[in-house]
Amino acid sequence: MDFSYLIQDIISGILMGSIYGLIALGLTLVFGVLKVINFAHGSFLMVGMYAAYWAVSITGLHPYVALVIVVPVMFFFGYYLQNFLIKPIFVAEKDVREPTTVIIVTTGIWYILDNITLLFFGPDYRALTPNPLKGKMMEFGDIFISIPKFYGFLIAIGTALLLYLFLQKTRTGRAIRATSLDRDAASLMGINQWKIFNVAFGIGTAVAGISGVVLTTFYNVYPTVGVPFDVKSFVIVVLGGLGSIPGAIIGGVIIGLIESIGPTFMTSTWTEAIVYVLFLLVLFVKPSGLFGQKYDW
Amino acid sequence: MKTFKSLVGTGLLCALVLGFSSLALAVDTVKVGNILPLSGPSAAVGQQGKQAREMAVEEINAAGGIKSLGGAKLEMFYADSKSDPNVGVTAAERLINTEKVNVLSGCWNSGVTYPSTAVAERYGVPFIVPVSVRDTITERGFKNVFRIAAKDSWWARDQFAFLKDMSKEFGTELKTIAMVYENGDWGTGLAAQWKKLIEKSGYKVVLDEPYPSSATDLTPVVNKIRRARPDVLLLVSNAADAVLLTNTMADYRVRPKVILGTGGGHADPTFLSGTEDNAQYIFDIVEWETDVNKPGVKEVNAKYKAKYGNNLTGEAVDAYVSMYVLADALERAGSASPDKLRTALAATNLKTGPAAIVSYDSIEFDKTGQNMHASPVVVQINDIGKGLERITIWPKSARRAGYTPVFPIPKK
Repeated sequence: MDFSYLIQDIISGILMGSIYGLIALGLTLVFGVLKVINFAHGSFLMVGMYAAYWAVSITGLHPYVALVIVVPVMFFFGYYLQNFLIKPIFVAEKDVREPTTVIIVTTGIWYILDNITLLFFGPDYRALTPNPLKGKMMEFGDIFISIPKFYGFLIAIGTALLLYLFLQKTRTGRAIRATSLDRDAASLMGINQWKIFNVAFGIGTAVAGISGVVLTTFYNVYPTVGVPFDVKSFVIVVLGGLGSIPGAIIGGVIIGLIESIGPTFMTSTWTEAIVYVLFLLVLFVKPSGLFGQKYDW
Repeated sequence: MKTFKSLVGTGLLCALVLGFSSLALAVDTVKVGNILPLSGPSAAVGQQGKQAREMAVEEINAAGGIKSLGGAKLEMFYADSKSDPNVGVTAAERLINTEKVNVLSGCWNSGVTYPSTAVAERYGVPFIVPVSVRDTITERGFKNVFRIAAKDSWWARDQFAFLKDMSKEFGTELKTIAMVYENGDWGTGLAAQWKKLIEKSGYKVVLDEPYPSSATDLTPVVNKIRRARPDVLLLVSNAADAVLLTNTMADYRVRPKVILGTGGGHADPTFLSGTEDNAQYIFDIVEWETDVNKPGVKEVNAKYKAKYGNNLTGEAVDAYVSMYVLADALERAGSASPDKLRTALAATNLKTGPAAIVSYDSIEFDKTGQNMHASPVVVQINDIGKGLERITIWPKSARRAGYTPVFPIPKK
């Protein structure tokens, strides 16, 4: 095997993997705080992609500048979605130890969002226009690096760092962490649990919006685009550890590397199998994942 | 002696009744039973088939019906198969026994056509199959099954015929082939047929790569194609992966001399909106295309579009043509009895009239009942001043007038 091939595969794997990690970030945050498996996460990504697509089409802004519009829009979308659709279920099931109905609600939201999008925008594959990054590549001899994916990598690392700092250093961040550790104790300390849930859900959705912007620069938008990413996010979140921010990014990169180096030695169908076998292995051997907290909630 | 007389008497009576009834049948109507998926997952294609049949039957009846039967009209009976083989079989039984149809047609889903044609064979009722591609439908030694569309395996066959014809026409040497296909039934089945054909025709396989259709990143596959440096890239893809593959190949400047799709994702209406100019020059094999350069194509398509609001599809064309094949056979049989109709169908050699909108030259059935000339068409995606469109280029007789294919795909 040629050495430059390996470098090419490692680079592609890290770039794409970090973007998977960015997508999984929102999922892991929502799980960490609300203890809800958000099946609608892929749909949020899809909504984020449509938001990015329309923001760029209407204003003609550079996709990354459009983040200024997409991030707040997505934050409030998530904030109010949690407030009006998920919170009532939490309240109704207050006395149930594991409120499974919430999972069913997020599944419902997934179907509704995907189908509303299909109804309004049709099944068309939409490509971002104008897209100044379209097809841009850095070429070093045999090694090609996709520029939109490289920027995506930087944004993923940046977002993860910012989120980490926010949770560690700010008052709201500390409140979120307190709620994630013990929501009842946090409530007793004067933290408004519901507000924290709203904020956490909003941040998770906003991160999905950021991933949407990153993805649209090199990926098409269509109503069911979130589904394959959703599945991948679950694997990454379990691999990296539920609720862990560095776990999401590193889990994503591991998946990205398997997907990109694997096909050199076997057909691409097998790499998918390896990813799922890894998923099962983690569940058996270390259910808390690479960076997950050791105790059960 | 008495019994003999009464036997003869009964026999005569029977003959008389039979004679009258067949006479009455011949003059009035010819009953055509159609089994189609009018609801359920394939309802859209079922409707197309129904509309196309109705348009053809209206035309035939308006033109005076079947003249050799004294102007008998075609009368249509529809049964909804819901894409369910059991429902299809029941419908075939009912149409034959209760409605007393003279001929059957359908069923679009291969899975429904396969057992339904067996019912028709048992009763000796001719069955015209416009589209159901599974090879085995006409490979069971049945006498009453006639298929208009090309078989499944002929798609692969024609892809190779296309490569051969084009490399001859344009003087391009093609030696190496990369096969990249979705890892479902469809992709792996087609790849198995490619392999057989490659062995026979002396190409060299440099890559044999199935991939999951749900892949979110096809960069690794594209890198494998890039390293294999094939002359020809054969693809079987669904919609999302066809778009992703095309765009990623453009990013990595992967441009084999020929990129040839197999319908499906490449023929999906959303393929062009997702790839934009990255799809330029790609080739794709499909059942039929609205620009096929044959007499009557424009008129029939315009009429269909005015009536139903859509362009004719490959499915609709085969359904439309099947009614003309039936009318032609009835005309020659001079009888609607299943037996005579079967013999007439077997002797079909239709080159003119509305049935000539097919992309090939004539409709003629071989011993198994398969239309032996049936063949899909190959299109090239190109922009000739009106944005990207699909332009028929193969077979040469059906090529769009005035278009010269770009072959091989130019280096950027």
